[in-house]
Amino acid sequence: MSRHPLLSLSLLALLSGSLLAQEANFREKTIHVVEPGPWTGPTLADGQPDVQGHWSNTIGNHNDFTGTERQPSRVTDPADGQVPFQPWAREKAAEFAAFLENPIRPEYVEPFARCAPGGPTKSLMWHGFEIRQYPGYILFLFDSGTRVIHLDDKPALPETVKTWNGDSRGHWEGNTLHVTVSNHNAKARFGRSGEFVSPDAEIVESYSFEPGGEYFLYKATYTDPSVLTRPMTVSVPAKRITPDTPPDGWNNITFPVVFADPSHAPDIEVWERTCVENNADHGQVALPE
Amino acid sequence: MSPAQLRRMVPLKHLDFSLAAPRLVLAVGLLFSAVAQADIPRTADGKPDFSGIWQTLSGADYGLEPHSTRKDAPPGPGVVTALPYQDWALKRRDENFKHRHERDTARQCFSLGTPRGVYYPEPFQIFQRERDLTLLFQRGFRTRTIHTNGSVHPEGPIGFWFGDSRAHWEGDTLVVDVVDFTDQTWLDSAGNFHSEELHVVERWSYVDENTIQYAATIEDPQVFTQPWSFSIQLHRIREPNFQLIENACYTLDYDQYYPIPAAE
Repeated sequence: MSRHPLLSLSLLALLSGSLLAQEANFREKTIHVVEPGPWTGPTLADGQPDVQGHWSNTIGNHNDFTGTERQPSRVTDPADGQVPFQPWAREKAAEFAAFLENPIRPEYVEPFARCAPGGPTKSLMWHGFEIRQYPGYILFLFDSGTRVIHLDDKPALPETVKTWNGDSRGHWEGNTLHVTVSNHNAKARFGRSGEFVSPDAEIVESYSFEPGGEYFLYKATYTDPSVLTRPMTVSVPAKRITPDTPPDGWNNITFPVVFADPSHAPDIEVWERTCVENNADHGQVALPE
Repeated sequence: MSPAQLRRMVPLKHLDFSLAAPRLVLAVGLLFSAVAQADIPRTADGKPDFSGIWQTLSGADYGLEPHSTRKDAPPGPGVVTALPYQDWALKRRDENFKHRHERDTARQCFSLGTPRGVYYPEPFQIFQRERDLTLLFQRGFRTRTIHTNGSVHPEGPIGFWFGDSRAHWEGDTLVVDVVDFTDQTWLDSAGNFHSEELHVVERWSYVDENTIQYAATIEDPQVFTQPWSFSIQLHRIREPNFQLIENACYTLDYDQYYPIPAAE
């Protein structure tokens, strides 16, 4: 088992459903808007905007997906902040939410609490994460899994192959990374309030980065006629973590890099994240009693 | 002499990479790295570029030691003659083998550990920057970062499943020092194991543009009587449009509880 206390923080948070100590630096009351536009910041050798590094969301998490008195809803379209469910689907989500704290059947245990990947959108609403860029690829290293964005035009996987985070194809337009997600299994819920879509949902994402490098705005539009009455857009704002950002075990889960040369400029890194390995209660499939 | 010519003269399969020969492994590695390799992929700063999708054909995960066929593995010549276990540890290994289907955490899709992730029979992808190499293993879709930014191990002990990897270049060879392990991973699917004091030194070098020679020296004073080494090859997967597929196999035992909600 991990002997470092910080490595099991995500697990504690999952089990308690609490926010733990969120650092004030990352708690914002409104969604910081970044509009699509030209990129004037640094670029990589292959021409991509250089947006590498550590990031975290600034608004709540999956406990308050459709908003509370303190946090705005992450659903930004429709304007009422609610998921435009068909009636039967709203009932299904409500049923899941009603039994979340008392999961009398295995299907009421949130898949995320069992350490399943968070899916394309919820992963951004959880702990801080890292972006690494390469010719042809962008990697997202989430606390709850890894996501690969393919920047080339290779075909998506055959339709019958389903994964938690789906298969992603992206391209840059100015400051904005546009991504189409296919092959997702739709098993991840958006929030602990149970919102879901079907595997037929079309997911189109945009990640708009401020050229100054401090913020980006993630938007995902879900089109799913089998579950929703109209398309829905989810927005998650994110802010950059720097070596000056105080670690808080939640938004900022980085550690200082130890350099052989002590005069080296400060830098930060994320340590290995595990979940199912340390999650005997749920991830290793203990069933509700 | 090119590495290919050298390999033809001294076929690796004829070399004994077991206990008696760790220095030979080193010598072969140095020979490879000393040969100027003009036709291997290189990064902008001139280092070998290991970017790509790789998989071994060695069968090392079925058993590091020579073994006959069994229901859960094909036969194999092994990559070491015999691991130098302390007496207690050999008994534990034999017990592990007997109970391998229950005890091997890789079967639960937990992180594979180091070096096992490298020769597990499923592909992994290397993403390389000047400051690090990211190994993304299809099984579990977990990453291991090998840092090449002049950093050193953080203060331990830390129970990492893949260990903490800090590396430097020796010519065209990437030399990786890995420490700070949990004792929960195995070295193969045949019960070979280690303690938290595992120390792995890896040497990554190109044989040719589509083949990596991967050599590792294993130390663990709690489990083994002396260090031991092995060397295997990794092959670049060149199928057009091949890509890793997220294999979140740790979800399989509960996947049945999550059918897609649908109108009844």
